[in-house]
Amino acid sequence: MSGTSEVLLRVYRYDPSNGGKPRYQNYRVPTFRGMTVLDALIYIKENLDPTLSIRYSCRMASCGSCGMTINGLPRLACFTQISELRSKYILVQPLRNLPIIKDLVADLDEFFNKHKLVKPYLIRRDVEEQENPREQYRQSEEELERYVQFAYCIKCALCYSACPVVSTDKSFPGPQALAQLYRYYIDTRDEAREERIRIVDGAHGIWRCHFADSCSQVCPKGVDPALAIQLMRREMMFGPSKG
Amino acid sequence: MAGRRNGLAVLVEALRTWLVPYRYGLERWSYTLQRISGVVITLYFVAHIVETGYVVGGPSVWTIRPDAQQYAERVWTETIKFLSNPLFDAGLAIIGFFVAFHTINGIRLFLAHFGWGLGRPTRPEPMHRPQSMSPTQRALFWASIAFAVFALVYTTNAFFGVLA
Repeated sequence: MSGTSEVLLRVYRYDPSNGGKPRYQNYRVPTFRGMTVLDALIYIKENLDPTLSIRYSCRMASCGSCGMTINGLPRLACFTQISELRSKYILVQPLRNLPIIKDLVADLDEFFNKHKLVKPYLIRRDVEEQENPREQYRQSEEELERYVQFAYCIKCALCYSACPVVSTDKSFPGPQALAQLYRYYIDTRDEAREERIRIVDGAHGIWRCHFADSCSQVCPKGVDPALAIQLMRREMMFGPSKG
Repeated sequence: MAGRRNGLAVLVEALRTWLVPYRYGLERWSYTLQRISGVVITLYFVAHIVETGYVVGGPSVWTIRPDAQQYAERVWTETIKFLSNPLFDAGLAIIGFFVAFHTINGIRLFLAHFGWGLGRPTRPEPMHRPQSMSPTQRALFWASIAFAVFALVYTTNAFFGVLA
């Protein structure tokens, strides 16, 4: 780590086993070219403060583990370079809209429960076929393009954290779950369109979205949940599209 | 941001998400402006009903009084005198801005909620721009801002004659 300059990280600290009062702690970290916020946090953990809790795994924006709020915006720490923030001062907080387990580690249970709620898997009417598929389900390129963008989701919860509706309505499934609902709804291999509509057709369901588009702005994979939600509403209003 | 949230924390969070649209792009500004303008228009509507109620004599309007004509004229004069204030005029100009913005942007949102004027799903490449905020949506948003500014200038000129 041969850095010639350093950056000040102001990190949110919260330990429920130690009184549970949130506070902030400052760390000065030497930087190097290409250094990410996750690199800086790992440097803190290894050299300055081993009590800091962070969650990460792949370090390449594939697993979605290291989501946190960096300078006010939900981002993946491994996918955010120090240099792109254009600041010598970096505020690091856990993801919003989720309970905190410790420090920068958010509890993703409610997020994954909502994901499960929309049944994110192909459903076939034939139970035997569902359990023991007998053949391949062929699709055209055009049919694939209708949902493949939404299949890029890595479940990092950045969209969930950015959503202003989730902030005030915990019954709202959130952009990730609704985008996955549309991803399976529009998949020609799926046979549970009516069932999927029933899951989210309510005042606290898909109609609750106010189209703030923040989910799509923060998605590190370009999934565009806001687009999926509006397209799903069109399907529900005007009937299923062909195919 | 800590685990359990009480009612006050929910309210603070709601106001923060409404009033702090920074960093999230154009559509979040639209969300914030649409909410603020909606609340302001609703409050204005209530105040307008109350004000009009006073002008026509309040609940007594349902009773035919012998001096109804004189009474109505007196209250009308008093109300107009009370409202002849630059602060109320400026408030009406701002209401004009909000009504124009809320109307046009509301139509845009109405269309977007039903999937109209949006882009098509595409495979995300580096530097991907969300198709939910398509060029059509951006143009309509700026059109609503332009219309609202026009309304603001028009009403300001009507009250203060700034263009004269």
